[in-house]
Amino acid sequence: MTESKVYLRDGKSAGLVEAGLFDEITPAHLNLWDRAWVPAMQDYCAGAPPGEKPEDSHWDWRRKSRAYRGMLGYSSFALVCRDELQGLMMTNDVTSARLAGQFGKPQIYVEFVATAPWNRPKLQDPPRYRGVGQVFILAAIETSCEAGFKGRIGLHSLPDAESFYEQRCGFHRLGPDSSHQNLTYFEMTETQADAFRHHH
Amino acid sequence: MKLNYPKAWFEQRIETEGQVEIGAGIFAAARPVGTAAEPRTNWCAPHLAFGQFVALWRRNKGWNAARLAAAAGIDRQEVLQIEYDPQCEPEPDAVFKLADVFGVSSRALLELAGLVVDRAPRLREEASRFTVRSESMAALSDVERQALEAFVTTLSEGKG
Repeated sequence: MTESKVYLRDGKSAGLVEAGLFDEITPAHLNLWDRAWVPAMQDYCAGAPPGEKPEDSHWDWRRKSRAYRGMLGYSSFALVCRDELQGLMMTNDVTSARLAGQFGKPQIYVEFVATAPWNRPKLQDPPRYRGVGQVFILAAIETSCEAGFKGRIGLHSLPDAESFYEQRCGFHRLGPDSSHQNLTYFEMTETQADAFRHHH
Repeated sequence: MKLNYPKAWFEQRIETEGQVEIGAGIFAAARPVGTAAEPRTNWCAPHLAFGQFVALWRRNKGWNAARLAAAAGIDRQEVLQIEYDPQCEPEPDAVFKLADVFGVSSRALLELAGLVVDRAPRLREEASRFTVRSESMAALSDVERQALEAFVTTLSEGKG
């Protein structure tokens, strides 16, 4: 397991704080998920009408992690800041690109990604940390590059996150996918990945 | 995978994130967080193989989810959940019906779905092999078709 030094923005002080990105979700990360993430999500959901609960409020990361652990082609990531879990992501390299121009080429597919409840503007104002999404997209792109896929990545966005992928990250929107509960499918090309990586 | 980006990259990039959500991934049926039952037996590669097996069998026939659902007498949404939701816990009745349509052993398919205790270690090994060789979206490749045919043979053992 490798830890990378990354940065998030503190929602209160607005300063950058150091965080660690791990390229494996470990039992210790899942314990953090159990102890803080789950109760926080339950609190947020407690008073919310059914249609207004976070779209991923039922995701059980312990089960997801168990399901994919050890499988070839599957990777998992955990982001930790100040000893708290800030986000989780799972990817695979067994799907291929759909966008014309790169159709059929291998890519990294983001199976699941989520930030901790306290980092979500809808649930907490101000969010405790910002930048979790950027870190995970960067990690997916780097994983793609390391695999020789030139930064190509794809994902099915939850409805509330579509603007993040299209407008903030520069993904191509390919439209709703009836085989994935009509979630909108997004894909990033080599050029778009380059632009994302060389933003500064 | 090791990231090695300067602090300035994050400084600038985070500003573009704005006040938006970032979640991605199939959400399937809502299930209260923190109330999940004990893990089912076989919760691992075989269960993923079950979803992929259903998807590949259907694609190999050129059927859409609705046609498979109609043939099995189950709900189309259940077919989609089996194929794409790794947390899906199919109803045993649905698995029996699918086994009938596929022409494979219902016992083996129940094991693959994680609904009964795995009695056949070989099935688990075959399921793992099948899972890593199959890809769920595109048209069936020769490799996938061979994997599917080999797996059908495994699932058909002991049928009857």
